[in-house]
Amino acid sequence: MILKKIEVNINGRDYCLDVEENLRLIDLLRDKLKLTGTKEGCGEGECGACTVIMGGKIVNSCLVLAFQADKSRIITIEGIEEDDVIKNSFIEEGAVQCGFCTPGMVLAAKSLLDKNLNPTEEEIREAISGNLCRCTGYNKIVSAVKKAAKLKRGGDGE
Amino acid sequence: MKKRGKGIACIFYGTGYGNGFPDVSRAYARLLEDGRVEISVGATEVGQGAKTVMVQIAAETLGLLDKDIVLINEDTSKTPDAGTAAASRQTYNTGNAVKIACENLKEKILEDAAKLLGVNTKVGLCMKDGLIYVKSYPSKKVSLKEIAELNKDLQAEGVFTAHTTQMDENGQGAPYWPYTFASCAVEVEVDTETGEVSILRAKHVLDVGRAVNPSLVEGQIDGGFAMGVGYALMEDIGLKDGKMTNGSFEKYIIPTALDIPEIEKVLIEYPEDTAPYGAKGIGEPVMIPVAPAILNAIYDAIGVRFYEIPVTPERVLLALQSKG
Ligand code: FES
Ligand code: FES
Repeated sequence: MILKKIEVNINGRDYCLDVEENLRLIDLLRDKLKLTGTKEGCGEGECGACTVIMGGKIVNSCLVLAFQADKSRIITIEGIEEDDVIKNSFIEEGAVQCGFCTPGMVLAAKSLLDKNLNPTEEEIREAISGNLCRCTGYNKIVSAVKKAAKLKRGGDGE
Repeated sequence: MKKRGKGIACIFYGTGYGNGFPDVSRAYARLLEDGRVEISVGATEVGQGAKTVMVQIAAETLGLLDKDIVLINEDTSKTPDAGTAAASRQTYNTGNAVKIACENLKEKILEDAAKLLGVNTKVGLCMKDGLIYVKSYPSKKVSLKEIAELNKDLQAEGVFTAHTTQMDENGQGAPYWPYTFASCAVEVEVDTETGEVSILRAKHVLDVGRAVNPSLVEGQIDGGFAMGVGYALMEDIGLKDGKMTNGSFEKYIIPTALDIPEIEKVLIEYPEDTAPYGAKGIGEPVMIPVAPAILNAIYDAIGVRFYEIPVTPERVLLALQSKG
């Protein structure tokens, strides 16, 4: 097996790792680094459960090979702070049911709000449209993202 | 051309296993040494909110706060059988078992309290906020913690058996109790060029008996509605010679956030006598009227009745062609 050396920053921590050439990023995160908050739903880029932020953009970590993450900064759900506004808005709005899609949804929402603190409803729906949810019907997730945007802008979220 | 139409559908649904299949839920309640109450129940949490609802029912019955209930669930070495999280049955069936277990425990606690307080009967006693006191003389009181210290064995079981009777050979009878009622109205837009159907607006009215937790009920309506949209317009496992041909999300299409409108929700609270605090099961009933409402709306928009789902763009276009 050919190993590749990569340097990657995950959730603010620097790693220097030897990875197999065909190792997927999701397996690096879950199996090697035990960051199991990232979920694997379909393994083929359709569901978004495996979403992480890489270089400021959301990617499906099941479709990225670990060596492609070389020299990049990655944020996984474990990198979201305890008192994070988006995370807490999800909880307060009841936007979590089984929770399988939640890590990916939170990161998709973060990626949107990092660029746009005043998204329209349509922009929110567009931003999370790569993330499937079988439980919530999306509406409470949309409300949670709206609320988080408002809180981040300095409003009271109501 | 884009054509709009409105549709409505109303349903009723018997919750629980029904039709003669035994339907029993059990729960245990136990007073802990620190005065909190432990509830052991097998109700499985799959995101619908069973844990929350069971804690709320227990707290209400015992006059405690949610934080004073310690819930043990989904642990087969500790929890009694509460049946499956299916048939929209946990809130009603297992909720009843939890309520009965808590009522039985409360009786035992009150008996001990009567002795400790030196009153001749438990009739005049109140239990609230972890205290038992004499209603007409509230300063005469004892705490749950004090009772737990003296009697380490205060526990009780609750068993609830739901009505389920097999129908006769003509399919007549009373297979279920209770029934949940729901209706759904939608406005759709059909693109006659592409065959695509989009849902513009929706309203969902649900007879919940009593909403133990309104936010959870809303979440179930949102989720059930989205499943109904997928069922009506997209989802097809493509069964061929006993095999699925659409075995991945690439081909088995389910709704995304862009396919779902905001839903106006109305909860009708008409308490069911046999239910815990009147609350009925709502998990499945929320979904059932969605597809017929959408199909009715499509008919209203383009005058075509569909008898097969999903109503995919291809099917819409074919139907429009043969209509001429
Ligand atoms: S697991 Fe990666 S998109 Fe589904
Ligand atoms: S909460 Fe279950 S898939 Fe989204």
